[in-house]
Amino acid sequence: MSDNAESPTETPKEESQPPPDDTSTNDEKKKIDVLLKAVGDTPIMKTKKWAVERGRTILSLSQFISRFLKIEGSEQLFIYVNQSFAPSPDQEVGILFDCFGSDNKLVLHYCKSQAWG
Amino acid sequence: MSLCVLDEEKFHLCCQLLLQLSEQLGDGWSWEGGQEGYLRKTALRSVVIDSSSVWDYEGGGADTSCPSLSEQQEGEQEQAAVDASADTDSIKGDMEDEDEDDGVCVASAGSSQLLQYEYHILHSCSYSTPVLYFRACTQEGRSLSLEEVWSSVHPNYRLRLQNSPLNTITMQEHPLLGQPFFMLHPCRTEEFMRPVLQAAQDQHRPVNYVLSWLSVVGPVVGLDVPLKYSTLLHPAPPPRQHRARLTPSPCVCQHHCGAPLYGSCITNPTIRG
Repeated sequence: MSDNAESPTETPKEESQPPPDDTSTNDEKKKIDVLLKAVGDTPIMKTKKWAVERGRTILSLSQFISRFLKIEGSEQLFIYVNQSFAPSPDQEVGILFDCFGSDNKLVLHYCKSQAWG
Repeated sequence: MSLCVLDEEKFHLCCQLLLQLSEQLGDGWSWEGGQEGYLRKTALRSVVIDSSSVWDYEGGGADTSCPSLSEQQEGEQEQAAVDASADTDSIKGDMEDEDEDDGVCVASAGSSQLLQYEYHILHSCSYSTPVLYFRACTQEGRSLSLEEVWSSVHPNYRLRLQNSPLNTITMQEHPLLGQPFFMLHPCRTEEFMRPVLQAAQDQHRPVNYVLSWLSVVGPVVGLDVPLKYSTLLHPAPPPRQHRARLTPSPCVCQHHCGAPLYGSCITNPTIRG
C-alpha cells in the first residue's frame, strides 16, 4: 500500500466491479491494514489485523467490532487514533491511514464502557 | 482519579490552544465571557427529524451501511482466530461488506430541515471535566424539543442513547447565561478520557484534554471536529509511503538554483542568473 499520495476519487458505492484497468476509481475498494488494540479490560479481538477498504467509515468499523465482541446495547465502543482523539464516525479509514498510518498500517485503540450513565 | 481531573486553569489553557487551532482552520470557535467564560460555536446542520425513533442522518456523506458477515465467513474467521492464537498479529482478517444489513440506519419519511446549532463548552466544577451545552432551533426560530434532539443523535450512539436517554442528553439551565440549553451529561467523561490520558502519561507527551474530549462528544450531537485539528498537532511521520505528500517545495529563488528545499539555495548570482 504505497500510493497514498493520490487523492481519493469519488466512486459510487455499489456492488458492481469497477473497470480493472482504471486504478484511480478503485481507491475506495483498495484495502489498508488496520491493527486493533484493546484498551483496559475491553475484550481482545483474536484477529487483530484486518484488511479494510479505504472507503469504510469508523461507524462501520465500530459496528463490526461491536458485533465481533458481542457488545450489548447498553454499552458503547470508543475508538481512538494515536491514543489521543476519537475519529468522527463518518470518517473514512483511508483518510485516517494517510494521516496517521505508520509501518503501512493504521493502529486503532478501542475501549468498551457503559454508555453515558 | 487525578489523571482524569481537569481543573479550571488547565481547562482555560486547553481552550486557548483549541482556539488557536480553530483560528488557523477557520472552524469558528470563540471565547465568551472573560475569566469565567466558555467556548462557543454556531453551525448549521441539515437534519431529518420525525416523531418516530427512526432517523436518517443527512449531510454526512458517509457510508452508513452496516457490515454483516456471512455465516461462512464468520466461521472461517473464527477458525482462523483459533488457529492464530499463537501469533495473532500476523494473521490478517478480511473485513468485507457482505450484504445490506438493516442495523440501526433506516431511512425515515421525515423531511430535511436546516437547523441552527449553538454549542458551548463550559467547565464543570463538580465533575472537573469539560461539559457540552447546546441548543438548536429551526430557521424560523423555533427551538427544538428534547425528543427532537434525541432523534437527531448520530446513529452510532442512538442505540445507547435509547437505553438511558435522560442520563445522556437533558435540558438544563446554562450555568452562566441562565437560559435553557441541552447538556450532554459529563458523568462518563472520565471513562472515555482515561485511555487517552493514560497513554499520554505513559508516553510522556502532552494531550489537549478539551480537544480529545470534544472529538468524542462532538459527533454525538452533530458537532464536527475536523481531522485537521489532530493532523496539525500530530503531523504524520515521514515513512516512505508518505514521501510524496511531504515532498518539500523546491527553492523558487530568482536564481532558479533548483535546490530541493525552499530557500536553501546558495545565492550565487553566477548560477543560471
